[in-house]
Amino acid sequence: MPETTSDRQPERTAGASPAGVAERVRDAAPGLIALLREAETARRLRAEVAGASGGGAVCAWNHFENIPTFYNWNNRPR
Amino acid sequence: MAARGQSVGGMRGVAAVPSYVVMQPTTLCNLDCAYCYLPLRAADRRMPVPVAEAVAASVNPWASAGRFSVVWHGGEPLAAGREHLAALMAPFAPEVEHHVQTNATLIDDAWCDFFQEHGVRVSVSVDGPRERNGDRVTRAGRPAYDRIMRGVSVLRRRGLPFSALAVVSRPRAGLAAELYDYFLDLGCDVLGINIEETEGVNTRGNAHDQADVTAFWAELVAAWRREPRIHLREIEWSLRYAAAVLDGVADDLLPRQLDPIPTIGHDGSVTVLSPELAGFTDPRYGDFSSGNVLESPLAEILAGAERTPWVGEFLAGVEACRDTCPYFGFCGGGHAANRYFELGRFDGTETEHCRNSKIRLLEGVLEHARDHQ
Repeated sequence: MPETTSDRQPERTAGASPAGVAERVRDAAPGLIALLREAETARRLRAEVAGASGGGAVCAWNHFENIPTFYNWNNRPR
Repeated sequence: MAARGQSVGGMRGVAAVPSYVVMQPTTLCNLDCAYCYLPLRAADRRMPVPVAEAVAASVNPWASAGRFSVVWHGGEPLAAGREHLAALMAPFAPEVEHHVQTNATLIDDAWCDFFQEHGVRVSVSVDGPRERNGDRVTRAGRPAYDRIMRGVSVLRRRGLPFSALAVVSRPRAGLAAELYDYFLDLGCDVLGINIEETEGVNTRGNAHDQADVTAFWAELVAAWRREPRIHLREIEWSLRYAAAVLDGVADDLLPRQLDPIPTIGHDGSVTVLSPELAGFTDPRYGDFSSGNVLESPLAEILAGAERTPWVGEFLAGVEACRDTCPYFGFCGGGHAANRYFELGRFDGTETEHCRNSKIRLLEGVLEHARDHQ
């Protein structure tokens, strides 16, 4: 049994009201959209596209999301 | 994301068919890293071949229906030796993919031949430049960095692609750019950053200053953006969530069910959802296993996994996350081992791991985006 068994108070990140996370994502849209475009270009350059095959680690990543940590980021079942 | 009271979909119940299994060919590790969670890493308890045969009997049909992988974990999986590892891999159908998570210290040309012959994909555990690897030591307590680099250099010389996993014990601004630049030079294709977790036999605390951790992630985004050659797990997933929110499809992002992620211990015991629970016992929860493949087929064990007492409590915890946490649509609920080892039970919600690796990650990405409009 771990030593710490008490409940912890949730972290209250500034602006993290119940619906505030998505709202703040939308508020950051201009910066995020530019970032998303660059990420998409980077994926193409890594040949990291749907249906890609081969023996590289990136291909494995497409399968697992975050294998080979063996621990799914937020779980990816069929 | 849905507001409190509105239910974010997904992650309801445990799927009967996993997308991969984790196998423990030996409990032994030739290193003794300070933050390791594994309880039996000084003992060489090897997985008998009948365990692999039993797992393969369930896995092979799954692999014929879709992509499926076996992840050889440890201990240090290469410490099992090539001959034994080959015998354990033999029962699996050719379409099954094999992966190893290794400390790289044993990698030589013979191992590279093995990886190529068996189509094994390699991920290396290394925490950054030499001075960031102080926790990665040999059983004699000596720094392991040179041995790790020798193995990585063989991979590179042989042209074998590899991923990397780094543990960060003290996340803060100033560290992220250094780390990312290091891994660019290292030549890995994929990188995952694990903020050290308090779990298993690692009882070191993992509470950090909120601003420090958020700044670490924001800096990592900036560093990655300058040269996004590496698939960086945390950034990719954060951006996927951000894109889903902006496209109005965030409620469809989470998987319908949880992947059971079965870990097959050296003795054939099956622990679902959190490999870190394998090998531990608790007066309240027993040994956390859902069965043993030497006694029941893996498919049957997984079909009944939700009846494992702690799993039911964990599923209640996922629902509690869904009901109370504004980040649930991004995260999908706290991991079982983090709940248990931090909170002492499975139906608690927010953990330090949630804060360090989910909440502050997303906040760091948003901070970067706001600062670069």
